[in-house]
Amino acid sequence: MNMRLRMGMVALVAGLMASTAPAFADFWSDAGAKFKGVTLHGVTESTPPSNYIKDVLAPEFEEKTGIKVEIETTSWDQMYDKAIKDMEAKTGIYDMIYIEQDIVYAYLARNFLVDVTQSLKDDPSLKAPGFDESHFTTFANYFRGENGDLFGVPMEAFIKIYLYRKDLFEDPKIQEAFKAKTGKDLAPAKTHEDYTQIAEFFTEYGKENGLDLWGTTAQAHTGHPASWYEYVESVAPTFGVYNWGINAEKNYAATVENGGSMNSDEAKAALKYWLHLRDIAPPESAASTWTEVASTFAAGRAAQGLVYGENAAWIASDAEKSKVVDKVGVALPPVSDGVMADAESGKGYIGYYDGGAFGLPVTSKNRDAALLFLQYIGQDSVQSGWAVAAPRITNTATYDDPAVKEMDARLGGYYTMLKDEGKLFAGAPPFPFHAQVREVCASIFYKILTGQIGPDEGLDQMAQATEKELTNLGYRK
Amino acid sequence: MGSNRTGWLLLTPTLVILGVFGILPFIYVLWVAFHQWNAFGANPYMIYNGADNFRRLVFDTEFLESIWFTFQFGFFAVVSEIVLGYFLAQFLMRDFPGKAVFRTLHTLPLIVAPIVVGSVWRLMMTPSIGIIPYFLDAWFGYQLNIGSNAGAAFVVTVIMDIWHWTPLVTLTLLAAIVALPKDPFEQAQIDGANRWQIFWHITLPMIRPAILATVFIRLMDALRTVDEIWMLTGGGPGSATRYIGLHIWKVVFPKTDYGYGSAISVIVLYLTLVLCWLLYVGLVAPRNGRRT
Repeated sequence: MNMRLRMGMVALVAGLMASTAPAFADFWSDAGAKFKGVTLHGVTESTPPSNYIKDVLAPEFEEKTGIKVEIETTSWDQMYDKAIKDMEAKTGIYDMIYIEQDIVYAYLARNFLVDVTQSLKDDPSLKAPGFDESHFTTFANYFRGENGDLFGVPMEAFIKIYLYRKDLFEDPKIQEAFKAKTGKDLAPAKTHEDYTQIAEFFTEYGKENGLDLWGTTAQAHTGHPASWYEYVESVAPTFGVYNWGINAEKNYAATVENGGSMNSDEAKAALKYWLHLRDIAPPESAASTWTEVASTFAAGRAAQGLVYGENAAWIASDAEKSKVVDKVGVALPPVSDGVMADAESGKGYIGYYDGGAFGLPVTSKNRDAALLFLQYIGQDSVQSGWAVAAPRITNTATYDDPAVKEMDARLGGYYTMLKDEGKLFAGAPPFPFHAQVREVCASIFYKILTGQIGPDEGLDQMAQATEKELTNLGYRK
Repeated sequence: MGSNRTGWLLLTPTLVILGVFGILPFIYVLWVAFHQWNAFGANPYMIYNGADNFRRLVFDTEFLESIWFTFQFGFFAVVSEIVLGYFLAQFLMRDFPGKAVFRTLHTLPLIVAPIVVGSVWRLMMTPSIGIIPYFLDAWFGYQLNIGSNAGAAFVVTVIMDIWHWTPLVTLTLLAAIVALPKDPFEQAQIDGANRWQIFWHITLPMIRPAILATVFIRLMDALRTVDEIWMLTGGGPGSATRYIGLHIWKVVFPKTDYGYGSAISVIVLYLTLVLCWLLYVGLVAPRNGRRT
């Protein structure tokens, strides 16, 4: 190909691109023109990905479409409180709500959500050119109904990872001391025994050296369900207890005698393991939810811990908030024999794949305008900036972005782990009675945490109370 | 007749507001209390179940525990606030340098929203970052952790309530004391009564209505406290500070058990009324020469 021809081709491609770009940009202004004066209201949990929507994506959308967007970011409890009240009472205050993966089954069972796929088929004029459902990661499947349609646009997805302090684990003096004490090389634990040993070592090491350092984090709040979540979603599965120990195929049994595993030997071993870790964790653990666990780790007070991935980015990179910038490594959580094989075969899982989507309540008064916004946050083009600002990936196009790859290196390979090992983790089981069982179990769980009842007795009570509650709710016949 | 009609006409807006925002919701809650209704149950609609919800709460240890903790909380908080409030009111009757500044600072907690009070106390109480555990450890070697020590958590919730609401009691009693006539006190002094006798036989009987009004208001507030406790302890550790308002919130919202939650609300209203009536019968009626 001669030079002139090549230049001609380049000019043609550039010309085509230039003429196409305004057409794409125009979609938002054209589509938005129909909704002049509309203000969309959304409610979500105050998390880094949600704050990015509020601070970056909503203003961008507003600028392009003229549709005003007000996003309310609040606490996890309040977010549910507000969203459910609004949809239950059909007040139509919210046009977008955050749907955490674990609540979507309850919302679908109550027909609270608009079928996004169907709505865009019904009115193709609303379909944004840059929005393609097939680009979402498999995490989007959690938000699909029985017909395979999408009922929420995934906006955050992360795994609860084993975070450890690289600087401590790689310190030759500490490695030597660990070897002398345990006879083992210091490395991220693969088994529960190793994890316990490392935790005990660092707690002792902190005490002996007058450091504010403990061997592990523990999300062990004695009055907030975060503690129960850590146990059922991140610890019990690593002992082979899946789906909270509830067997949906056996009439939602929870007790061992009826076919469940909530009070199985494995569940009891898992709880005792975790309670021991709680005892050697920093003292604030008894009042720690997921947020405080991240703060504890960021303050350099724990050598290792299970931390929600949504916090990994700021812990690893934000020097204003974190004392352990560039000092963290990520690994898969320690597991019992057979659990990894279960996870690889799809029979089980090794930890929690958390996240959520933005959904559109059927009670919304601005359904079409809200559909535009949902597509806006689901486009490929907005994903990389979002992933760098908050460690979440819901779109396959994001992984290969240079900025994301750079961030991945700072996060010790977290994104690579999400991409390659994400399949080993799972979201909450598909129960429409999620919050109801949680509340029943949590109050007993708090008593276990405070020592009012023993772990074995407590798990027996939890299993029985769960079956009773499911009978009351009409799920268990 | 005409003035009667005018009176009713003037009362109408108030009665309408009371009816719409007070009576109707109460009737609705009463109606719901006789139904099984869980928004996320297999059947999410209301099913009439008679008095089952009320029967259920008699055997519900969580509810009974919650009631017991709430009464303890109410008792310790209100008694402490009345005693402390009275002394502060007497203190503010005197002149001293910086009185205006003290009075302003002392009243500041009143204007802080309960949720903020809870947040601030949580920050002050969290081990590792909280100022109070830090100094208790540094000065007395006492390691305060309200996340694991039920007794300490209870005491801290009471102290927080005292800190927040004592200024209200002080201001109410101060107003009552300022309004007292001087003659009986002068007469008593001439008759040779000592300070205690003056307090017991003159001051206390004369400010009794103000004290009782304050007790009723504070007691009703204490029995329905939610936001501060929710923020500080979340009801923990265990159920040590799961006072009834928080318990109802947990049953109605996270658990979405509307029927049972409504039944608890009705019973709590009933218990509050009974408690106030007992206080009235025990403390007010005998003084008025009535026994009912």
